Amino acid sequence: MAALTRGMRDAFDWPLFVMVATIAVLGVVNLYSATSAMPVQLRDIYIQQIYWLSLGAGVAVLIATVDYRYYERYAWFAYGLGIILLVLVFLLGREVRGSQRWIPIGAFSLQPSELMKVFFIVALAKHLHDDPRTEGRTLKDLVIPGLILALPMALILAQPDLGTALLLAAIFGTVMFLTHLKLRSFITLVLAFVVSAPLTWRYLLKDYQRQRMTAFMDPENDILGTGWHAHQAKVAIGSGGLTGKGFLEGTQNQHRFLPDQHSDFPFSVWAEEHGFIGSVALVLLYTTLILWGLKIASEARDRFGAVVAVGVSGLIFWQAVINLGMVCGLLPVVGITLPLVSYGGSSVLTVLMGIGLLLNISMRRFHF
Amino acid sequence: MTMLSVRREVGEFRKRYKWMALAVAVSMSAIVARLVYLQLVDHERWAEEAQDNITKHVRLPATRGLIRDTSGKVVASNRAATDVYLTPQLLDREHVDLFARLMGFEPQQTADLLERLGNVPERRRSHLVKLYADISREQLAALETHRREIPGMRILVVPKRTYPFASLAAHAIGFLNEVNAEDIKRFPDRGYGAGEWIGRSGLESAWESYLRGHDGELTVTVDVRGKHQDRSDGSPQSEQRRAPMPGRDLKLTLDMDMMRSVERAFRGHPSGAAVVVDTRTGRVRALFSKPAYDLNEMSGRLSADRAAEISASPFRPLIDKTVYETYFPGSTYKPISALAALEDGILNESSRFECPGYYELGRRRFRCSHVHGDAVDMRKAVVQSCNTYFYRLAELVGLDRLTKLSKDFGLGAVTGLGINTEAAGFVPTRDWYTKRHGDQYWLGFTLNAAIGQGNTRVTLIQLAMVYAAIANGGTLYVPQLVQAVEAPDGSMIEEFPPRVRRRVAVDPKYLAYVIDGMFGVVNDPNGTAFEAKIEGGVPVAGKTGTAQVSRGKLPGGVPAANAWYYRRSHAWFAGFAPADHPELAVVVLVEHGGQGGKYAAPIATRILQEALGGTRAPQIQTGAAATGTSGAQVASRSALPAAARAGARVKD
Repeated sequence: MAALTRGMRDAFDWPLFVMVATIAVLGVVNLYSATSAMPVQLRDIYIQQIYWLSLGAGVAVLIATVDYRYYERYAWFAYGLGIILLVLVFLLGREVRGSQRWIPIGAFSLQPSELMKVFFIVALAKHLHDDPRTEGRTLKDLVIPGLILALPMALILAQPDLGTALLLAAIFGTVMFLTHLKLRSFITLVLAFVVSAPLTWRYLLKDYQRQRMTAFMDPENDILGTGWHAHQAKVAIGSGGLTGKGFLEGTQNQHRFLPDQHSDFPFSVWAEEHGFIGSVALVLLYTTLILWGLKIASEARDRFGAVVAVGVSGLIFWQAVINLGMVCGLLPVVGITLPLVSYGGSSVLTVLMGIGLLLNISMRRFHF
Repeated sequence: MTMLSVRREVGEFRKRYKWMALAVAVSMSAIVARLVYLQLVDHERWAEEAQDNITKHVRLPATRGLIRDTSGKVVASNRAATDVYLTPQLLDREHVDLFARLMGFEPQQTADLLERLGNVPERRRSHLVKLYADISREQLAALETHRREIPGMRILVVPKRTYPFASLAAHAIGFLNEVNAEDIKRFPDRGYGAGEWIGRSGLESAWESYLRGHDGELTVTVDVRGKHQDRSDGSPQSEQRRAPMPGRDLKLTLDMDMMRSVERAFRGHPSGAAVVVDTRTGRVRALFSKPAYDLNEMSGRLSADRAAEISASPFRPLIDKTVYETYFPGSTYKPISALAALEDGILNESSRFECPGYYELGRRRFRCSHVHGDAVDMRKAVVQSCNTYFYRLAELVGLDRLTKLSKDFGLGAVTGLGINTEAAGFVPTRDWYTKRHGDQYWLGFTLNAAIGQGNTRVTLIQLAMVYAAIANGGTLYVPQLVQAVEAPDGSMIEEFPPRVRRRVAVDPKYLAYVIDGMFGVVNDPNGTAFEAKIEGGVPVAGKTGTAQVSRGKLPGGVPAANAWYYRRSHAWFAGFAPADHPELAVVVLVEHGGQGGKYAAPIATRILQEALGGTRAPQIQTGAAATGTSGAQVASRSALPAAARAGARVKD
């Protein structure tokens, strides 16, 4: 294990660090507000978030320290570990709100589906790295990447956790977008989706998931039912106006009209208290971070690095855009968290592991 | 070499990165566009909704004004009652069972509760629904102890109307119940809200706008579960209060002690009514209608069964028999007939007629109660209630004069008491008879009219005002129930002086003559009410009446075996006391009581004795020595000599 050399310190990606740190700090501040009106036992959630961020930062630094090419060798090992953890969920997991997602470890609980996102990116990168074809790929070439996706996705769907499963698929799509796919194969894929979507709707989705979809399609029809959460989030955002109601002054937040305001809906708290200016600032921060990740990918010295960087950027992009979209009422409500702003140890850890990888790739872009 | 190939490949991805960057920019722009819409374009709407979310308006009910009788006794006031609200959505079966146990419910009551909860419409299920009003102290204590175990339960203390005298003067005082949709529509400017109370009858209804006051409003900041929340910094802006304005208090002219006395005097008679008015002011001292109902029961949640039971009673407890019901006056009308004859000089004190026990008009024979002999003068005719005399009188006087004087005395028109949809009664005219009987007028109509048995119908309050006018020398007052309006602190806001409706043009000497006859009714040994005379008591003058009832259908549900009761005449007595110096006029009607002298007069003399006997020894004051300041008394003095003479006879 090599230590940070002087040269590497010079190569340290300060913009990346500053962006991530800013988002994390805003996230903690926002969590403080989001939980201030909650029962006492939930009010120190922001402290826990600081612990997780610190732990995540440590892990990120560790990950950044070792040249990422070492990880390439252990990619399958990480993937296997992720799968084992996902299986363990069914053996050890406890059920919360109708689904099994967590493995309890002492006082904490681990959400393997979160960690799986990073392991999956690494595994996908490894496969693409080992198969460096550039010509157009056919469906046959998608079989192995497809299997790499299908295994964790099936396990996560079984929990059931539709959001995370779809997120894996989105990351997969993003990564595969890098490689050429023949037009005929693309059309076949689209057709397959068109055929399978209604079947999925009918047989695979749970009732609550279908309800959320219908509530999204016609939100005003059902303000007091399933659409209530989404509606109250819109009220919070809209009532924030240009400059917001001020820190700790959001009425929707303080009087608990917001659903899951610390986990899935923290952006509604932010938008209510800091208004349009604050919201756009946060959106711009994410946008810059994601574009920065793509820049790192484009400058990566090898395909493994490029794929991992695209995967991590994709992870942050999809989570941010889906979460913001759902909070604003542009997308149906699915359990996707806002990176670094939502409360959640596993989520913070996963995103920071990804950032560690980005940092790693960025710092070593000039090493050949 | 490998390095180079890697670089070239990475470079080849470059085009794709641009597409990705574009996708990121477009997606994020969509989010920003959405934020522009929500936070800038549509801000107002959402801000309003956010404000609505945390703002709840709580009605602060105004305390309804008190009602006191003339001596300050409270007849209607307010006490704290406890209402229970539940939120159907938050209750499961266990909560309901616990609630039922705490309330001490029988299984049937629990079933009712479940049914009522089930009937709450979907959109109201998340709201508080008032399910029980005025629960007992024990129930309250039990619920308070376990209130945290029943989610969404609210216990509210609200003012509840209470009537210390229960059923006494029930018709006059009136009751309240909850406003209905029709009331809210009918009085849009009064701003009634669901669940508020409205006066339904009697004074409670007539003086609603004085008694009600104005509700206040508390605007509170609440959280999502409707729980009151202070702002985190405890700033006072989380609560705004508009204090309620309490209603005005009423001071009545009614005297509840006298009401009690009237109630006692009516013991043994199932159905009847009585009015006592001050002859000097027209102020109503007692307004009694029997049977009555308990106002506390009527103002509560009267069960449908009980309501049906009350309205099905053959004695019609819901009818105010003093004001709303009209009757044939019977012989109590005779003083008007007598005055009509005297006033126009058609008869005088010495006019005499023979009474063989009947009077023949054509082929028809009009009956009298007895054979009154061959020299019946007006005094004797009044004292013994000789119909024959009045048949002859009628023949000479004619219907038109009777009609005119009746109307002068206020019959056929409402007196203006102002409660319980007062009936106007009826005074027939010649036109009315001829229209009704195919352009023919029979003298018989006049004959019957003169003895109060024709088509004339009066209310008790009308007759009381007539007798008060006779007693006070001809001043017809507007009967008055409310003496003053007072503020809650007891200060006077408005006092109502007596109001004269009309001065009836009757010569005092004729009045005195008729009063002398009325004195004889009670005080002459052959007077029709002599049996009712209280020896050594307050001297009473009056007239009995035995009004035949129409032979129409029996009230519903009355068995044929009881028909005799409903065929029996109404017993009347109308009079005043002290005869020489009148203070109170009284009218007593015992429905289907029989002879007025036997059944109604004792009630009247007893009422008058209890009202006046205690403060005034049964001795005679003469003429000018009488005390009194009101204008009415000045007028009545001219009647005094005759009355005084009558009084003197008592002394002898």
